[in-house]
Amino acid sequence: MDMNEKPKVEEKEVQEMEVQKLPDTKEGRLVAELLEKAPYAEGSVRRERRIEFRVPKEEVKNFLRLASEKFEILLQITVVDWLKESEFEVIYQLWSVSENVHAMVRTRIPRDDPRLPTVMDIWPVAETYEREAHEFFGVIYEGNPRLGPFILEPKEYEKHPLRKDFNMLGYVKMVYGEDFDRYDESKTNYVI
Amino acid sequence: MSERNDDFITYELQEFKLFEPLFRWARKKSLWIVAFCTGCGGIEMPPLFTARYDIERFGMMPNPSPRMADLFLITGYVTPKTLKRIIITYEMIPDPKYIIAHGSCPINGGVYWDSYNVVKQLDKYIPIDVAIAGCMPRPEAVMDGIQEIMRKIESGEADGWKRYRENYEWYRKNQDELFGEGWRERDARRWLAWI
Repeated sequence: MDMNEKPKVEEKEVQEMEVQKLPDTKEGRLVAELLEKAPYAEGSVRRERRIEFRVPKEEVKNFLRLASEKFEILLQITVVDWLKESEFEVIYQLWSVSENVHAMVRTRIPRDDPRLPTVMDIWPVAETYEREAHEFFGVIYEGNPRLGPFILEPKEYEKHPLRKDFNMLGYVKMVYGEDFDRYDESKTNYVI
Repeated sequence: MSERNDDFITYELQEFKLFEPLFRWARKKSLWIVAFCTGCGGIEMPPLFTARYDIERFGMMPNPSPRMADLFLITGYVTPKTLKRIIITYEMIPDPKYIIAHGSCPINGGVYWDSYNVVKQLDKYIPIDVAIAGCMPRPEAVMDGIQEIMRKIESGEADGWKRYRENYEWYRKNQDELFGEGWRERDARRWLAWI
């Protein structure tokens, strides 16, 4: 049969493929340059003009300070809630004007005590993003003087509404009343 | 008072009741809009006001002052934070005043029905005269709602301002349940010193 004759990839080859070599491009050279200065990080090239780093949380500020030489702009700080692993993943989106490359710096922090040093002294714009991440997820950025209620009402601020364990429907019922039959959980189909 | 008051004129000027149909007709023909675009419906406003759907031929005009307006457009979803501003703006508009609510969000939350910060039923907090369904309603649908409110003004059915006056305790109770007691003193006084 033709189907069975397909060459199977051996295990050794799989392992070699996982250790991806950095390509000889602008992106690959940028990653190699940064990894040379910061051996604690992992870096890879995702595709053209997109690179990615994984950094342990203790070193994230040092790494970002190194990266800020090439990456002049901090585009955003976002947080992903990994509930099963009990971790927050904080992602710094950086943009290099000189190289036209977008970098994603990921770091993981424990969910029960989410603390990170602020990066306001590297990019002042980080203040706003850190306030937002603090409000929606409860991450504490040490050194940011303006952490506190920002966009949300005080009632919502205490709850950190974008956390995965925030009971959205329960909160909606509590605040806006239960006089809509669409909140009936025994119904299989909701009408929106 | 034995007889129930029927219109704004009868509150103030009993003797002018003869001219009430004339005043209603004039009100219908000169609606001024508070330019307070909440939510996505703000996108539908520019085509509505400009050449293609030109609503100025109905005598309507966008006017950024609540003190000189008749019609309040609630265009899209309403968050508690916006609702505070909406209520204060609505109370600043002189009687008689009318509200058109655009889209399904003010009716029942729309696509944000399970969101923690979108008001599910706007009619609990301020009286709505005409609600236009859709997400978002096209300018044609908005113009249909405008014709509907013109009809209601002329026949005297657009009585939201009167309902707000008569059932103020009920509306006030709902507002206080959502925002907490004393929200006017806490928040609104920061924006408007005279409240």
